[in-house]
Amino acid sequence: MSELLLEPFRLPYMQRAMAEVLLLGVLTGVAGVFVVLRRLAFMTDALTHTVFPGVVIAHLAGWSLALGALAFGVLTAVLLTILATNRRVASDAAIAIVLTSLFSVGVVLVSRQRSYTSDLTLFLFGRILTVDRADLLTTLVLTVVVLGVLAVIGKELVLRSFDPEGASAMGYPGVALDLALNLLIALVVVAAVKAVGTVLVVAMLIVPAASARLLAGRVAGMTVLACLSGVLAGWGGLLASYHLSVSGGVRLAAGATIVVVLVAGFLAVLAATALARRQPRPRLGVSGGAGFAPPEDRVVGP
Amino acid sequence: MAPDQPVLEIRHAALAYDRVPVVEDVNGSVGRGQAVALIGPNGAGKTTLIKAVLGLVPVVRGSISVLGRPPRAARREVAYVPQADALDPEFPVSALQVVLMGRYPRIGWVRRPGRVDRAAARSALDAVGLAGEAATRFGILSGGQRQRVLLARAIAQEPRLLLLDEPTNGVDAVSQQLLLAALGRLREDGAAVVVATHDLALAHLACDEVCLLNRHQVGFGPLARTLTPELLRAAYGGQAIELGGEGVIVARQ
Repeated sequence: MSELLLEPFRLPYMQRAMAEVLLLGVLTGVAGVFVVLRRLAFMTDALTHTVFPGVVIAHLAGWSLALGALAFGVLTAVLLTILATNRRVASDAAIAIVLTSLFSVGVVLVSRQRSYTSDLTLFLFGRILTVDRADLLTTLVLTVVVLGVLAVIGKELVLRSFDPEGASAMGYPGVALDLALNLLIALVVVAAVKAVGTVLVVAMLIVPAASARLLAGRVAGMTVLACLSGVLAGWGGLLASYHLSVSGGVRLAAGATIVVVLVAGFLAVLAATALARRQPRPRLGVSGGAGFAPPEDRVVGP
Repeated sequence: MAPDQPVLEIRHAALAYDRVPVVEDVNGSVGRGQAVALIGPNGAGKTTLIKAVLGLVPVVRGSISVLGRPPRAARREVAYVPQADALDPEFPVSALQVVLMGRYPRIGWVRRPGRVDRAAARSALDAVGLAGEAATRFGILSGGQRQRVLLARAIAQEPRLLLLDEPTNGVDAVSQQLLLAALGRLREDGAAVVVATHDLALAHLACDEVCLLNRHQVGFGPLARTLTPELLRAAYGGQAIELGGEGVIVARQ
Protein backbone atom coordinates (compact mmCIF):
# COMPACT_ATOMS: atom_id res chain seq x y z
CA MET A 1 0.00 0.00 0.00
CA SER A 2 2.67 2.47 1.06
CA GLU A 3 4.51 1.49 -2.12
CA LEU A 4 1.48 2.61 -4.10
CA LEU A 5 1.31 5.91 -2.24
CA LEU A 6 5.00 6.82 -2.17
CA GLU A 7 6.67 5.02 -5.10
CA PRO A 8 5.72 7.64 -7.74
CA PHE A 9 7.51 10.32 -5.75
CA ARG A 10 10.92 8.71 -6.37
CA LEU A 11 10.77 10.33 -9.79
CA PRO A 12 12.29 13.82 -9.67
CA TYR A 13 9.55 15.41 -11.78
CA MET A 14 6.92 13.91 -9.45
CA GLN A 15 8.85 15.22 -6.43
CA ARG A 16 8.80 18.74 -7.87
CA ALA A 17 5.13 18.44 -8.76
CA MET A 18 4.38 17.26 -5.23
CA ALA A 19 6.34 20.11 -3.64
CA GLU A 20 4.52 22.61 -5.88
CA VAL A 21 1.12 21.14 -5.02
CA LEU A 22 1.86 21.20 -1.28
CA LEU A 23 2.91 24.85 -1.44
CA LEU A 24 -0.13 25.77 -3.51
CA GLY A 25 -2.41 23.79 -1.21
CA VAL A 26 -1.31 25.86 1.78
CA LEU A 27 -1.23 29.16 -0.15
CA THR A 28 -4.64 28.77 -1.80
CA GLY A 29 -6.10 27.33 1.41
CA VAL A 30 -5.20 30.39 3.47
CA ALA A 31 -5.96 32.96 0.75
CA GLY A 32 -9.16 31.13 -0.21
CA VAL A 33 -10.59 31.68 3.27
CA PHE A 34 -10.50 35.45 2.65
CA VAL A 35 -11.89 35.03 -0.88
CA VAL A 36 -14.86 33.05 0.44
CA LEU A 37 -15.51 35.22 3.51
CA ARG A 38 -15.32 38.42 1.45
CA ARG A 39 -17.35 36.82 -1.40
CA LEU A 40 -14.72 37.49 -4.04
CA ALA A 41 -15.15 34.30 -6.10
CA PHE A 42 -16.17 36.19 -9.25
CA MET A 43 -13.38 38.73 -8.74
CA THR A 44 -10.92 35.84 -8.45
CA ASP A 45 -12.28 34.28 -11.63
CA ALA A 46 -11.80 37.62 -13.39
CA LEU A 47 -8.19 37.86 -12.17
CA THR A 48 -7.37 34.46 -13.61
CA HIS A 49 -8.45 35.69 -17.04
CA THR A 50 -7.02 39.19 -16.94
CA VAL A 51 -3.46 37.95 -16.31
CA PHE A 52 -3.69 36.26 -19.75
CA PRO A 53 -2.49 39.23 -21.85
CA GLY A 54 0.45 39.55 -19.46
CA VAL A 55 1.39 35.92 -20.01
CA VAL A 56 1.08 36.32 -23.80
CA ILE A 57 3.18 39.48 -23.91
CA ALA A 58 5.83 37.88 -21.70
CA HIS A 59 5.82 34.79 -23.92
CA LEU A 60 6.21 36.87 -27.10
CA ALA A 61 8.94 39.02 -25.60
CA GLY A 62 10.74 36.06 -24.03
CA TRP A 63 10.33 37.31 -20.47
CA SER A 64 9.31 35.32 -17.44
CA LEU A 65 5.62 34.36 -17.70
CA ALA A 66 5.15 34.99 -13.99
CA LEU A 67 6.41 38.54 -14.41
CA GLY A 68 3.90 39.24 -17.20
CA ALA A 69 1.09 37.70 -15.18
CA LEU A 70 2.15 39.72 -12.14
CA ALA A 71 2.01 43.03 -14.03
CA PHE A 72 -1.51 42.41 -15.33
CA GLY A 73 -2.67 40.93 -12.01
CA VAL A 74 -1.63 44.12 -10.24
CA LEU A 75 -3.26 46.24 -12.97
CA THR A 76 -6.53 44.30 -12.54
CA ALA A 77 -6.50 44.59 -8.75
CA VAL A 78 -6.00 48.36 -8.99
CA LEU A 79 -8.67 48.82 -11.72
CA LEU A 80 -11.26 46.79 -9.81
CA THR A 81 -10.60 48.60 -6.55
CA ILE A 82 -10.98 51.99 -8.27
CA LEU A 83 -14.18 50.96 -10.07
CA ALA A 84 -15.64 49.59 -6.84
CA THR A 85 -15.46 53.03 -5.23
CA ASN A 86 -17.92 54.39 -7.83
CA ARG A 87 -21.32 53.67 -6.37
CA ARG A 88 -22.98 53.87 -9.79
CA VAL A 89 -20.96 50.97 -11.22
CA ALA A 90 -22.17 47.69 -9.74
CA SER A 91 -19.17 45.58 -8.72
CA ASP A 92 -20.21 42.55 -10.80
CA ALA A 93 -20.57 44.76 -13.88
CA ALA A 94 -17.16 46.31 -13.22
CA ILE A 95 -15.62 42.85 -12.91
CA ALA A 96 -17.23 41.64 -16.14
CA ILE A 97 -15.98 44.70 -18.03
CA VAL A 98 -12.39 44.37 -16.82
CA LEU A 99 -12.40 40.59 -17.31
CA THR A 100 -13.60 40.62 -20.93
CA SER A 101 -11.61 43.64 -22.09
CA LEU A 102 -8.25 42.39 -20.82
CA PHE A 103 -8.89 38.77 -21.81
CA SER A 104 -9.79 39.80 -25.37
CA VAL A 105 -6.52 41.74 -25.61
CA GLY A 106 -4.77 38.50 -24.73
CA VAL A 107 -6.71 36.52 -27.31
CA VAL A 108 -5.99 39.09 -30.04
CA LEU A 109 -2.27 38.90 -29.25
CA VAL A 110 -2.11 35.13 -29.05
CA SER A 111 -4.18 34.51 -32.16
CA ARG A 112 -1.36 36.02 -34.22
CA GLN A 113 0.85 33.12 -33.17
CA ARG A 114 1.10 29.76 -34.90
CA SER A 115 1.15 27.69 -31.71
CA TYR A 116 -2.01 29.43 -30.60
CA THR A 117 -3.97 26.52 -29.11
CA SER A 118 -1.17 24.86 -27.18
CA ASP A 119 -0.23 28.16 -25.53
CA LEU A 120 -3.81 28.74 -24.58
CA THR A 121 -4.17 25.24 -23.14
CA LEU A 122 -1.02 25.71 -21.08
CA PHE A 123 -2.41 28.98 -19.73
CA LEU A 124 -5.82 27.56 -18.91
CA PHE A 125 -4.79 24.22 -17.41
CA GLY A 126 -1.10 24.51 -16.57
CA ARG A 127 1.40 21.65 -16.79
CA ILE A 128 2.23 20.57 -13.30
CA LEU A 129 4.54 17.72 -14.33
CA THR A 130 6.90 20.14 -16.10
CA VAL A 131 7.38 22.43 -13.09
CA ASP A 132 11.11 23.18 -12.70
CA ARG A 133 13.23 24.51 -9.85
CA ALA A 134 12.72 28.12 -10.92
CA ASP A 135 8.93 27.70 -10.92
CA LEU A 136 9.10 26.14 -7.48
CA LEU A 137 11.20 29.03 -6.22
CA THR A 138 8.71 31.55 -7.65
CA THR A 139 5.85 29.79 -5.90
CA LEU A 140 7.82 29.63 -2.65
CA VAL A 141 8.66 33.35 -2.72
CA LEU A 142 5.07 34.33 -3.52
CA THR A 143 3.75 32.04 -0.78
CA VAL A 144 6.05 33.65 1.78
CA VAL A 145 5.02 37.14 0.64
CA VAL A 146 1.28 36.43 0.71
CA LEU A 147 1.34 34.64 4.07
CA GLY A 148 3.58 37.40 5.48
CA VAL A 149 1.17 40.15 4.46
CA LEU A 150 -1.79 38.16 5.79
CA ALA A 151 0.01 37.83 9.13
CA VAL A 152 0.12 41.65 9.25
CA ILE A 153 -3.43 42.52 8.12
CA GLY A 154 -5.31 39.22 8.54
CA LYS A 155 -7.44 40.12 11.55
CA GLU A 156 -8.34 43.50 10.03
CA LEU A 157 -9.40 41.77 6.78
CA VAL A 158 -11.63 39.43 8.80
CA LEU A 159 -13.19 42.43 10.55
CA ARG A 160 -13.81 44.14 7.21
CA SER A 161 -15.42 40.96 5.82
CA PHE A 162 -17.66 40.55 8.86
CA ASP A 163 -18.67 44.19 9.40
CA PRO A 164 -17.44 46.63 6.72
CA GLU A 165 -19.27 49.61 8.25
CA GLY A 166 -17.97 48.84 11.72
CA ALA A 167 -14.43 48.61 10.36
CA SER A 168 -14.76 52.04 8.70
CA ALA A 169 -16.23 53.45 11.91
CA MET A 170 -13.12 52.21 13.77
CA GLY A 171 -11.03 54.15 11.27
CA TYR A 172 -9.79 51.30 9.09
CA PRO A 173 -9.22 52.36 5.47
CA GLY A 174 -11.70 50.22 3.54
CA VAL A 175 -10.39 50.91 0.05
CA ALA A 176 -6.79 50.25 1.06
CA LEU A 177 -7.73 46.94 2.72
CA ASP A 178 -9.71 45.90 -0.38
CA LEU A 179 -6.81 46.80 -2.64
CA ALA A 180 -4.42 44.82 -0.46
CA LEU A 181 -6.63 41.73 -0.59
CA ASN A 182 -7.14 42.05 -4.35
CA LEU A 183 -3.37 42.29 -4.82
CA LEU A 184 -2.80 39.23 -2.63
CA ILE A 185 -5.27 37.21 -4.70
CA ALA A 186 -3.49 38.39 -7.85
CA LEU A 187 -0.20 37.08 -6.39
CA VAL A 188 -1.78 33.70 -5.65
CA VAL A 189 -3.08 33.46 -9.21
CA VAL A 190 0.39 34.31 -10.55
CA ALA A 191 1.98 31.68 -8.28
CA ALA A 192 -0.36 29.00 -9.62
CA VAL A 193 -0.51 29.83 -13.34
CA LYS A 194 2.38 27.63 -14.50
CA ALA A 195 1.44 24.62 -12.39
CA VAL A 196 -2.33 24.36 -12.53
CA GLY A 197 -3.38 27.06 -14.99
CA THR A 198 -5.88 29.82 -14.43
CA VAL A 199 -9.06 27.79 -14.62
CA LEU A 200 -7.92 25.37 -11.97
CA VAL A 201 -6.52 27.97 -9.58
CA VAL A 202 -10.05 29.30 -9.15
CA ALA A 203 -11.05 25.84 -7.95
CA MET A 204 -8.05 25.63 -5.61
CA LEU A 205 -8.93 29.00 -4.07
CA ILE A 206 -12.67 28.51 -3.73
CA VAL A 207 -13.40 24.81 -3.20
CA PRO A 208 -11.22 23.99 -0.13
CA ALA A 209 -12.35 27.18 1.64
CA ALA A 210 -15.98 26.50 0.73
CA SER A 211 -15.74 22.97 2.14
CA ALA A 212 -14.05 24.28 5.28
CA ARG A 213 -16.76 26.95 5.62
CA LEU A 214 -19.35 24.18 5.95
CA LEU A 215 -17.44 22.52 8.78
CA ALA A 216 -15.78 25.24 10.84
CA GLY A 217 -17.32 27.65 13.34
CA ARG A 218 -14.19 29.84 13.54
CA VAL A 219 -11.96 31.49 10.97
CA ALA A 220 -8.88 29.73 12.40
CA GLY A 221 -10.48 26.31 12.11
CA MET A 222 -11.68 27.14 8.62
CA THR A 223 -8.12 28.07 7.59
CA VAL A 224 -6.63 24.82 8.92
CA LEU A 225 -9.30 22.71 7.21
CA ALA A 226 -8.95 24.59 3.92
CA CYS A 227 -5.17 24.02 3.87
CA LEU A 228 -5.54 20.35 4.79
CA SER A 229 -8.15 19.81 2.12
CA GLY A 230 -6.03 21.58 -0.52
CA VAL A 231 -2.89 19.60 0.37
CA LEU A 232 -4.70 16.25 0.54
CA ALA A 233 -6.53 16.81 -2.74
CA GLY A 234 -3.26 17.88 -4.38
CA TRP A 235 -1.49 14.75 -3.20
CA GLY A 236 -4.42 12.46 -4.00
CA GLY A 237 -4.98 14.02 -7.41
CA LEU A 238 -1.33 13.70 -8.41
CA LEU A 239 -1.23 10.11 -7.26
CA ALA A 240 -4.45 9.14 -9.01
CA SER A 241 -3.40 10.71 -12.29
CA TYR A 242 0.01 9.00 -12.09
CA HIS A 243 -1.31 5.50 -11.47
CA LEU A 244 -4.13 5.76 -13.95
CA SER A 245 -1.78 7.08 -16.61
CA VAL A 246 1.12 4.66 -15.97
CA SER A 247 -0.65 1.40 -15.20
CA GLY A 248 -4.24 2.15 -16.15
CA GLY A 249 -3.40 3.44 -19.59
CA VAL A 250 -5.85 6.32 -19.10
CA ARG A 251 -4.20 9.69 -19.71
CA LEU A 252 -5.39 11.98 -16.95
CA ALA A 253 -4.28 15.61 -16.66
CA ALA A 254 -2.84 15.97 -13.14
CA GLY A 255 -4.21 19.47 -12.51
CA ALA A 256 -7.74 18.56 -13.54
CA THR A 257 -7.61 15.38 -11.44
CA ILE A 258 -6.74 17.49 -8.39
CA VAL A 259 -9.82 19.61 -8.98
CA VAL A 260 -12.02 16.54 -9.40
CA VAL A 261 -10.76 15.29 -6.01
CA LEU A 262 -11.40 18.73 -4.45
CA VAL A 263 -14.95 18.91 -5.74
CA ALA A 264 -15.67 15.31 -4.69
CA GLY A 265 -14.52 16.29 -1.19
CA PHE A 266 -16.77 19.35 -1.23
CA LEU A 267 -19.80 17.27 -2.27
CA ALA A 268 -19.08 14.72 0.47
CA VAL A 269 -18.88 17.49 3.11
CA LEU A 270 -22.04 19.11 1.72
CA ALA A 271 -23.94 15.82 1.94
CA ALA A 272 -22.61 15.06 5.43
CA THR A 273 -23.53 18.49 6.83
CA ALA A 274 -26.95 18.37 5.16
CA LEU A 275 -27.56 15.02 6.86
CA ALA A 276 -26.31 16.38 10.21
CA ARG A 277 -28.66 19.34 9.84
CA ARG A 278 -31.64 16.98 9.62
CA GLN A 279 -30.83 15.36 12.94
CA PRO A 280 -32.89 17.02 15.68
CA ARG A 281 -29.79 17.94 17.67
CA PRO A 282 -29.51 21.68 18.31
CA ARG A 283 -26.08 23.30 18.48
CA LEU A 284 -24.29 20.60 16.57
CA GLY A 285 -20.89 22.29 16.26
CA VAL A 286 -21.14 22.04 12.46
CA SER A 287 -23.47 24.61 10.94
CA GLY A 288 -26.64 22.89 12.02
CA GLY A 289 -28.01 25.19 14.66
CA ALA A 290 -28.39 28.36 12.60
CA GLY A 291 -31.49 30.25 13.63
CA PHE A 292 -31.82 28.27 16.82
CA ALA A 293 -32.35 30.63 19.71
CA PRO A 294 -31.06 29.39 23.06
CA PRO A 295 -33.36 29.75 26.06
CA GLU A 296 -33.21 33.14 27.68
CA ASP A 297 -33.22 31.75 31.22
CA ARG A 298 -29.45 31.39 31.17
CA VAL A 299 -29.08 35.14 30.87
CA VAL A 300 -27.55 36.84 33.89
CA GLY A 301 -29.74 39.62 35.23
CA PRO A 302 -28.62 43.27 35.38
CA MET B 1 -9.69 69.47 27.80
CA ALA B 2 -11.85 71.93 29.69
CA PRO B 3 -14.21 70.07 32.05
CA ASP B 4 -17.29 71.74 30.57
CA GLN B 5 -16.36 71.03 26.95
CA PRO B 6 -19.12 68.99 25.28
CA VAL B 7 -18.24 65.53 24.00
CA LEU B 8 -20.13 66.15 20.76
CA GLU B 9 -20.77 69.61 19.36
CA ILE B 10 -22.72 70.21 16.15
CA ARG B 11 -22.92 73.75 14.82
CA HIS B 12 -25.35 74.47 11.96
CA ALA B 13 -24.09 71.39 10.15
CA ALA B 14 -25.24 70.41 6.65
CA LEU B 15 -24.32 66.92 5.45
CA ALA B 16 -24.16 65.74 1.85
CA TYR B 17 -23.49 62.70 -0.31
CA ASP B 18 -22.03 63.69 -3.69
CA ARG B 19 -22.68 67.37 -2.90
CA VAL B 20 -26.49 66.81 -2.61
CA PRO B 21 -27.49 67.94 0.89
CA VAL B 22 -29.23 65.19 2.87
CA VAL B 23 -29.52 66.86 6.24
CA GLU B 24 -29.37 70.58 6.95
CA ASP B 25 -28.99 72.92 9.87
CA VAL B 26 -28.37 70.50 12.73
CA ASN B 27 -27.39 72.31 15.88
CA GLY B 28 -26.77 71.01 19.38
CA SER B 29 -24.37 69.45 21.81
CA VAL B 30 -24.03 66.37 24.01
CA GLY B 31 -22.08 66.47 27.27
CA ARG B 32 -20.42 63.84 29.46
CA GLY B 33 -22.91 61.25 30.70
CA GLN B 34 -25.71 62.70 28.59
CA ALA B 35 -27.86 60.68 26.20
CA VAL B 36 -29.65 62.06 23.15
CA ALA B 37 -32.28 60.24 21.10
CA LEU B 38 -32.15 60.93 17.38
CA ILE B 39 -35.75 60.65 16.26
CA GLY B 40 -37.32 61.00 12.84
CA PRO B 41 -39.02 59.03 10.05
CA ASN B 42 -37.17 56.76 7.61
CA GLY B 43 -34.99 58.83 5.32
CA ALA B 44 -34.87 61.71 7.80
CA GLY B 45 -31.08 61.51 7.89
CA LYS B 46 -30.50 59.82 11.27
CA THR B 47 -27.98 57.34 9.90
CA THR B 48 -26.34 60.07 7.81
CA LEU B 49 -25.87 62.20 10.92
CA ILE B 50 -24.32 59.25 12.80
CA LYS B 51 -21.97 58.60 9.89
CA ALA B 52 -20.97 62.25 9.83
CA VAL B 53 -20.09 62.05 13.53
CA LEU B 54 -17.89 59.07 12.59
CA GLY B 55 -16.25 61.15 9.87
CA LEU B 56 -17.66 58.94 7.10
CA VAL B 57 -19.97 61.56 5.55
CA PRO B 58 -18.65 65.04 4.76
CA VAL B 59 -19.92 68.13 6.58
CA VAL B 60 -20.44 70.69 3.79
CA ARG B 61 -21.46 73.62 5.97
CA GLY B 62 -21.12 74.33 9.66
CA SER B 63 -19.11 71.93 11.78
CA ILE B 64 -19.13 68.77 13.86
CA SER B 65 -16.53 68.28 16.57
CA VAL B 66 -15.91 65.41 18.93
CA LEU B 67 -13.99 66.35 22.10
CA GLY B 68 -12.96 69.54 20.32
CA ARG B 69 -11.47 67.64 17.38
CA PRO B 70 -12.73 66.94 13.86
CA PRO B 71 -14.58 63.56 13.74
CA ARG B 72 -11.79 61.73 11.87
CA ALA B 73 -9.23 62.73 14.49
CA ALA B 74 -11.42 61.50 17.35
CA ARG B 75 -12.33 58.02 16.08
CA ARG B 76 -10.46 56.25 18.86
CA GLU B 77 -12.83 57.88 21.36
CA VAL B 78 -16.00 56.93 19.48
CA ALA B 79 -17.73 53.55 19.25
CA TYR B 80 -20.48 52.67 16.81
CA VAL B 81 -23.07 49.93 17.37
CA PRO B 82 -24.61 48.74 14.07
CA GLN B 83 -27.89 46.86 13.77
CA ALA B 84 -27.28 43.19 14.50
CA ASP B 85 -29.37 41.94 11.61
CA ALA B 86 -27.14 43.80 9.14
CA LEU B 87 -24.41 41.23 9.84
CA ASP B 88 -24.09 37.75 8.29
CA PRO B 89 -25.28 35.21 10.89
CA GLU B 90 -23.31 32.44 9.15
CA PHE B 91 -19.95 34.18 9.62
CA PRO B 92 -17.57 31.87 11.52
CA VAL B 93 -16.84 33.92 14.67
CA SER B 94 -17.66 33.44 18.35
CA ALA B 95 -19.33 36.08 20.51
CA LEU B 96 -16.02 36.71 22.29
CA GLN B 97 -14.19 37.13 18.97
CA VAL B 98 -16.73 39.76 17.87
CA VAL B 99 -16.19 41.66 21.12
CA LEU B 100 -12.41 41.39 20.69
CA MET B 101 -12.76 43.19 17.34
CA GLY B 102 -13.49 46.31 19.39
CA ARG B 103 -9.92 46.06 20.71
CA TYR B 104 -8.26 45.90 17.26
CA PRO B 105 -7.53 49.66 17.00
CA ARG B 106 -5.68 49.43 20.34
CA ILE B 107 -3.93 46.17 19.48
CA GLY B 108 -2.66 47.49 16.15
CA TRP B 109 -1.54 45.58 13.05
CA VAL B 110 0.33 42.24 13.25
CA ARG B 111 -0.22 41.64 16.99
CA ARG B 112 -2.81 39.23 18.37
CA PRO B 113 -5.18 40.14 21.22
CA GLY B 114 -3.33 39.82 24.53
CA ARG B 115 -4.39 39.02 28.07
CA VAL B 116 -5.55 42.59 28.80
CA ASP B 117 -7.70 42.59 25.64
CA ARG B 118 -9.29 39.24 26.51
CA ALA B 119 -10.07 40.43 30.04
CA ALA B 120 -11.64 43.64 28.66
CA ALA B 121 -13.72 41.64 26.16
CA ARG B 122 -14.91 39.19 28.84
CA SER B 123 -15.92 41.95 31.22
CA ALA B 124 -17.76 43.73 28.37
CA LEU B 125 -19.69 40.51 27.63
CA ASP B 126 -20.45 40.26 31.33
CA ALA B 127 -21.77 43.85 31.31
CA VAL B 128 -24.43 42.89 28.76
CA GLY B 129 -25.32 39.62 30.55
CA LEU B 130 -23.64 37.29 28.08
CA ALA B 131 -20.62 36.04 30.06
CA GLY B 132 -21.81 32.47 29.55
CA GLU B 133 -22.01 32.75 25.77
CA ALA B 134 -18.39 33.77 25.05
CA ALA B 135 -17.66 30.64 23.03
CA THR B 136 -21.02 30.52 21.24
CA ARG B 137 -21.00 31.26 17.53
CA PHE B 138 -22.35 34.79 16.93
CA GLY B 139 -25.01 33.67 14.42
CA ILE B 140 -26.51 31.07 16.75
CA LEU B 141 -27.44 33.74 19.33
CA SER B 142 -30.90 35.35 19.23
CA GLY B 143 -31.36 38.77 17.62
CA GLY B 144 -31.39 40.49 21.01
CA GLN B 145 -28.30 38.65 22.19
CA ARG B 146 -26.45 39.55 18.97
CA GLN B 147 -27.34 43.21 19.54
CA ARG B 148 -25.93 42.91 23.06
CA VAL B 149 -22.72 41.36 21.73
CA LEU B 150 -22.32 44.40 19.45
CA LEU B 151 -22.88 46.71 22.42
CA ALA B 152 -20.24 44.71 24.30
CA ARG B 153 -17.85 45.26 21.36
CA ALA B 154 -18.46 49.00 21.71
CA ILE B 155 -17.90 48.82 25.50
CA ALA B 156 -14.59 47.01 24.88
CA GLN B 157 -13.52 50.03 22.82
CA GLU B 158 -13.76 52.11 26.03
CA PRO B 159 -15.41 55.00 24.15
CA ARG B 160 -16.22 58.49 25.38
CA LEU B 161 -18.97 58.78 22.77
CA LEU B 162 -21.25 55.89 21.87
CA LEU B 163 -23.41 55.90 18.72
CA LEU B 164 -26.22 53.37 18.32
CA ASP B 165 -28.36 52.74 15.22
CA GLU B 166 -31.85 51.36 16.02
CA PRO B 167 -30.57 49.18 18.89
CA THR B 168 -34.02 47.83 19.83
CA ASN B 169 -35.27 46.80 16.37
CA GLY B 170 -36.57 43.26 16.74
CA VAL B 171 -35.04 42.88 20.19
CA ASP B 172 -36.85 40.88 22.90
CA ALA B 173 -37.84 42.44 26.23
CA VAL B 174 -35.06 40.78 28.27
CA SER B 175 -32.38 41.98 25.88
CA GLN B 176 -33.90 45.46 25.87
CA GLN B 177 -33.67 45.62 29.68
CA LEU B 178 -30.04 44.48 29.61
CA LEU B 179 -29.17 46.95 26.83
CA LEU B 180 -30.69 49.81 28.83
CA ALA B 181 -28.88 48.78 32.00
CA ALA B 182 -25.54 48.60 30.21
CA LEU B 183 -26.13 52.01 28.58
CA GLY B 184 -26.96 53.46 31.98
CA ARG B 185 -23.66 52.22 33.45
CA LEU B 186 -21.71 53.63 30.51
CA ARG B 187 -23.30 57.02 31.12
CA GLU B 188 -22.46 56.84 34.82
CA ASP B 189 -18.86 56.32 33.78
CA GLY B 190 -19.05 59.55 31.79
CA ALA B 191 -19.70 58.36 28.23
CA ALA B 192 -22.00 60.43 26.02
CA VAL B 193 -24.62 58.47 24.07
CA VAL B 194 -26.48 59.13 20.81
CA VAL B 195 -29.26 56.69 19.87
CA ALA B 196 -30.96 56.80 16.48
CA THR B 197 -34.39 55.24 16.90
CA HIS B 198 -38.07 55.15 15.97
CA ASP B 199 -38.89 53.96 19.44
CA LEU B 200 -40.29 56.84 21.51
CA ALA B 201 -40.43 54.53 24.54
CA LEU B 202 -36.70 53.89 24.23
CA ALA B 203 -36.12 57.64 24.06
CA HIS B 204 -38.05 58.08 27.32
CA LEU B 205 -36.23 55.23 29.05
CA ALA B 206 -32.67 55.82 27.91
CA CYS B 207 -32.30 59.50 27.04
CA ASP B 208 -32.71 62.91 28.58
CA GLU B 209 -32.57 64.93 25.37
CA VAL B 210 -34.04 64.53 21.91
CA CYS B 211 -33.01 65.67 18.47
CA LEU B 212 -36.03 65.58 16.15
CA LEU B 213 -34.96 65.25 12.56
CA ASN B 214 -36.61 65.28 9.16
CA ARG B 215 -34.00 66.37 6.59
CA HIS B 216 -33.49 69.36 8.86
CA GLN B 217 -33.62 69.75 12.61
CA VAL B 218 -37.20 70.09 13.85
CA GLY B 219 -36.22 70.41 17.50
CA PHE B 220 -33.42 69.73 19.98
CA GLY B 221 -33.81 69.82 23.72
CA PRO B 222 -35.01 68.10 26.88
CA LEU B 223 -37.39 65.18 26.36
CA ALA B 224 -40.48 66.82 27.86
CA ARG B 225 -40.14 69.99 25.80
CA THR B 226 -39.23 68.28 22.53
CA LEU B 227 -41.39 65.15 22.25
CA THR B 228 -44.55 67.27 22.01
CA PRO B 229 -47.46 66.48 19.69
CA GLU B 230 -46.74 69.64 17.67
CA LEU B 231 -43.07 68.88 17.08
CA LEU B 232 -43.68 65.17 16.44
CA ARG B 233 -46.28 66.09 13.84
CA ALA B 234 -43.80 68.50 12.30
CA ALA B 235 -41.20 65.72 12.09
CA TYR B 236 -43.43 62.83 11.06
CA GLY B 237 -46.26 64.58 9.18
CA GLY B 238 -49.28 62.30 8.78
CA GLN B 239 -47.43 59.41 10.40
CA ALA B 240 -47.90 60.91 13.87
CA ILE B 241 -51.20 59.93 15.48
CA GLU B 242 -52.44 61.78 18.54
CA LEU B 243 -53.99 59.60 21.22
CA GLY B 244 -55.61 62.43 23.16
CA GLY B 245 -54.07 64.19 26.14
CA GLU B 246 -50.31 64.04 25.89
CA GLY B 247 -50.02 60.71 24.09
CA VAL B 248 -48.67 60.58 20.59
CA ILE B 249 -47.64 57.45 18.77
CA VAL B 250 -45.68 57.23 15.58
CA ALA B 251 -47.03 54.89 12.94
CA ARG B 252 -44.37 53.04 10.98
CA GLN B 253 -44.90 52.13 7.37
